[in-house]
Amino acid sequence: MQILTQLIFSGIALGMIYAVIAFGYQLTFATSDTLNFGQGEALMLGALVGLTLVNLGLNYWLMIPLVCLFGAFQGAVVERIGVRPAIKIKSEFGWIMSTIALGIIFKNVAENIWGRDDLKFPSPLPESPLHFLGANVLPMEVLVVVGAILMMLAVEFFNRKTIYGKAVVATFNDRDAAKLMGINTGLVITFSYALSSLTAGFAGVLIAPLTLTGATMGAVLGLKAFAVAIIGGLTSGMGIIVGGIILGIAETTTGFYLSTGYKDVPGLVLLLIVLAVRPQGIFGKSVIKKV
Amino acid sequence: MSADTKMLTITNLYAGYGKVQVLHGISIDVSKGKVVTLIGSNGAGKTTTMRAVSGMITPTAGEITLNGKRIEGMESYHIAKLGLAHSPEGRRVFATMTVTDNLTLGAFPRLTGSRPKGDVAGDLERALELFPRLKERRMQLAGTLSGGEQQMLAMARAVMLNPEVVLLDEPSMGLAPILVAEVFRIIERLKSEGVTMLLVEQFAAAALGVADYGYVLENGRISVHGPADKLRNDPSVKAAYLGGGTSH
Amino acid sequence: MKRSHHLLAVVGVIALLLFPLGVGNPYYIHLLETIMIYAILLFGLDIVVGYTGQVSLGHAGLFGVGAYTAGVLVIKLGAPLLVALIAAIGVTAVFGAILALPALRVTGPYLAMVTLAFGTIVQILINEMDWLTNGPMGIKLEKPSLLGHKLDEREFFWLVAVLLVLSLIVVHRVLRSHLGRAFEALRGSPVASDCMGVSVYRYKVYAFVISAGFAGLAGSLYAYSEQYISPNSYNFELTVLFLLAVIMGGRKSRIGSMVGATIIVLLPKLLDDIETFRYVSVALAVLVIATTVFGIQKGRVTAKQMAVPVVGSIALAGLSFWLHTMTDWRLSIFGVIMLFVVYYLQDGIVGFVRSAPNLAKPKPEAQVAGASLAGGDAVATSAASGSSEILKADGVLMQFGGLKALNNVSLSIKRGTIHGLIGPNGSGKSTMMNVLTGIYQPTAGSVSFSGRSVVGCTSSDIALSGIARTFQNVQLFGEMTALQNVQVGLHHTFDSNLLDVAVHTPRYRRESKAAVDRAMGLLQFVGLADLTFEEARNLPYGKQRLLEIARALALDPQLLLLDEPAAGLTAPDIKELISFIRKIRDHGITVILIEHHMDVVMSMCDTVSVLDFGQKIAEGAPAAVQADEKVIEAYLGGTAA
Repeated sequence: MQILTQLIFSGIALGMIYAVIAFGYQLTFATSDTLNFGQGEALMLGALVGLTLVNLGLNYWLMIPLVCLFGAFQGAVVERIGVRPAIKIKSEFGWIMSTIALGIIFKNVAENIWGRDDLKFPSPLPESPLHFLGANVLPMEVLVVVGAILMMLAVEFFNRKTIYGKAVVATFNDRDAAKLMGINTGLVITFSYALSSLTAGFAGVLIAPLTLTGATMGAVLGLKAFAVAIIGGLTSGMGIIVGGIILGIAETTTGFYLSTGYKDVPGLVLLLIVLAVRPQGIFGKSVIKKV
Repeated sequence: MSADTKMLTITNLYAGYGKVQVLHGISIDVSKGKVVTLIGSNGAGKTTTMRAVSGMITPTAGEITLNGKRIEGMESYHIAKLGLAHSPEGRRVFATMTVTDNLTLGAFPRLTGSRPKGDVAGDLERALELFPRLKERRMQLAGTLSGGEQQMLAMARAVMLNPEVVLLDEPSMGLAPILVAEVFRIIERLKSEGVTMLLVEQFAAAALGVADYGYVLENGRISVHGPADKLRNDPSVKAAYLGGGTSH
Repeated sequence: MKRSHHLLAVVGVIALLLFPLGVGNPYYIHLLETIMIYAILLFGLDIVVGYTGQVSLGHAGLFGVGAYTAGVLVIKLGAPLLVALIAAIGVTAVFGAILALPALRVTGPYLAMVTLAFGTIVQILINEMDWLTNGPMGIKLEKPSLLGHKLDEREFFWLVAVLLVLSLIVVHRVLRSHLGRAFEALRGSPVASDCMGVSVYRYKVYAFVISAGFAGLAGSLYAYSEQYISPNSYNFELTVLFLLAVIMGGRKSRIGSMVGATIIVLLPKLLDDIETFRYVSVALAVLVIATTVFGIQKGRVTAKQMAVPVVGSIALAGLSFWLHTMTDWRLSIFGVIMLFVVYYLQDGIVGFVRSAPNLAKPKPEAQVAGASLAGGDAVATSAASGSSEILKADGVLMQFGGLKALNNVSLSIKRGTIHGLIGPNGSGKSTMMNVLTGIYQPTAGSVSFSGRSVVGCTSSDIALSGIARTFQNVQLFGEMTALQNVQVGLHHTFDSNLLDVAVHTPRYRRESKAAVDRAMGLLQFVGLADLTFEEARNLPYGKQRLLEIARALALDPQLLLLDEPAAGLTAPDIKELISFIRKIRDHGITVILIEHHMDVVMSMCDTVSVLDFGQKIAEGAPAAVQADEKVIEAYLGGTAA
């Protein structure tokens, strides 16, 4: 029973990471109907850049805003090179392939700079577990959950209270009408990519101390976060939190009770099932296409 | 036309969608403080004209001038910053945002430095006074408003720009007759406040009732134009819509 | 195929077969063998990527399934060659079908992610299920025996070559057949495809299953060729490589697949050998600069457009001299190549080579010198049997959220008449069309066609039961010719299956010829006979509309729905249109006509129904409706506010 509770807590922490990455998918999809197939690599770069800064002596907490800045820059680059040209020629194939290509390039560059081995990320919090409801919870796991929620709340605040945030929501609602308001929707899309990579990078430095950090850490995370985005519904913020937690717990329990090799399977199978049965996700609204 | 300031001038405009050319060289003038209406049956090209003016589509040929500045081919957000507000066909309000937020966004260029700021909060209150139905629902999500209320919201939102010219695209579409009447009352009110408007309408009678000048669009060309009260009784207007005219 | 193409192909095959005799070194034989094996897979992948236009990130997984099916059967059961190959094709095809189940529900990025998930799952399963697959240890194989004789390197090469040629022929035949047209149709316009009786769902599944079969064949051959298979080969990198090969070589082209296979096999080798790579990259930079200079001189491209490729290729050459080894940067180079291909080389190398010296795209050859129309014309005469009421819509309600697009609309369409449906913008006319053809399911109410209810039926079922339509925004299959567009409408006349197509049985040949004849006849009927081989997207707008009608007639409908057929037409075109519609009616086909051109409606229709705000406000003879007060008010507006 103790083990189960522990697995659940770990699962929730893991799930929140998925939720934050999935949040990034939602951001770009909402404003531009595109998403970044290299989202996992954005997380990976954030973690590795963060690691380098920390190894150079920078304090973990001061490192976070720098990584966020880096993430924003990286996201803008992806949008500029990979997505904007594809939107211009209205090619879905185009941005799918180019964001995949950029993801591959980032991963390869990371391999060459940081090597192919996994590295240890020093934890900013004490590593001795806390006792909560009879289970061991790492302080870092708590930080992950808190950090993820804070990040999503911050974005929500931005969207609701600032005029620029409202402009982003307007673009999501109706791109043409937003342009009629004087909103430069191209800039909004660049911004949403920057924000999307920023959140991914932030998620990266949150999860890095809990897991192995390396050039390969992003790939499967990105795919599973996509599963969470689908399960939750690409338009629902609440949905991805619920979806993330479901997936996180499913994974930690599978990993423990079955075998670690199989731990990636439930997420992927869940993705296939949800897409087969209810493509708009648990919380999403089904879209009637007008002809 | 007298020597009033021409706020919006369309000269010899050609526009269409890919292979389908809809407009074949139309010219329209809108003077300051006047309401000009563009009427015609479906498929005649009225909405295409609006979209070409506000930058939603790029014209194939011709010129469009706003307050002396050439705007054809510009991006629509740039044209909005220059002072052209467009209440589009189908309303297109921001459904997941409140009425207030929608109106605030109408003033986006004013709040972000692209246009003189003025008193945005004050204008918002005045807009709500002008549209009492909206005032009752100021915190309601725009997507839950009825068709008529959304139309008012779209018009109010356009006015929030403090624009030089307002384009009203088919404000009556899909509205029950009683709401159509209300919408046109509001247009009258805006006219009395000196707002320059180009009104595109399917309902010729109502449009000609409120406008100063009218143009009739048939198959992408201006077939008839003149002062609104003259056009109201012109038989060729009816023929343009329902056929059965002597020319057919 | 044209004579010259035939000759070239024969020469190519002979050269291929002679290769291992001329080149003794087994390393090169194995290299070419790998290229051929990849090419087989790419033929199949091209069906999915090139023809149906979807991105599949799971083909490495299918490749792995094929390889491991063969490997496991050989190791565990000592299966002979033929059994292993056929089992690999079959099992992989089944996996392809399993993949298609979630896949067919979604498109675009979702599909890509689903296939990626699938590929990842396959790799994990192969790795974990070591009781079956030996897990990470992998499986060692030997070259197979054929007819009791163990094949050596050369003989296995010939086996692969023969299978390559067979695969080429089969794929070629499939893609030239009604199946290939169906695949292209569902990319061109899924809505039109469904409404022409080609179910998008079903054909996406076929496309996947067929491509899976080829992947399975390739995988099993790969297992024998490498003589060792392990789980980590079938990873994301490989699947991306396959995609790169298809788009770089050129989509919708067999040669493209082979060129692509060559590139992805040779490129890593090239990158390993830094010396050779330096030469190649310099040569490439020179080539790009030369092409740019020529292009600017001819006025085909601007300096700005070519800036990126020029700078990029020079940078690449410079990089190759600066670095000591390119192997570590292999993936980045692939990534950059992918970006380049996606934006600058959209038609692949094959497409580029074709368009550069302005070579025309090979026109599908005129199979028929003159269609034989034994009396009458190609439009099927609709039987006059059945009740006088062909379509009855009763109390139809179509609600989108809070909006009632159709509010209690009832229509009764008499057989053999032309029935007009008019109303102001937004009154619900197109919505009604979409309800009648199954694109929307009505919120309430009933619709019955010849006595049978159509509510709840799919668009393709409705099309096949006798209702055909055209669209307000023309939905032709743009990249297909006029003839091919009509042939898609004739899809329902084919009973031939995959085997018939692959082998060109008499049944298939018969049906194919009949379809061509019929299609030519229909094109003649609408006056498009001299534009038979023009791509639909290049046709003038008025002709496009007529083509849509010809395509709809190919369904042999009893009821034809025309959605604003006169929109955007000039006066002479409209006259022509009216005469065609009258001729169609004279064949006994009932017509429902949505139109705004009042003169068209008034001159042709027997009955006119008027919609406003989703409700029917008037119905009757055209003249009566035109004079009806309510109708005038609906269009022109009532008394001024």
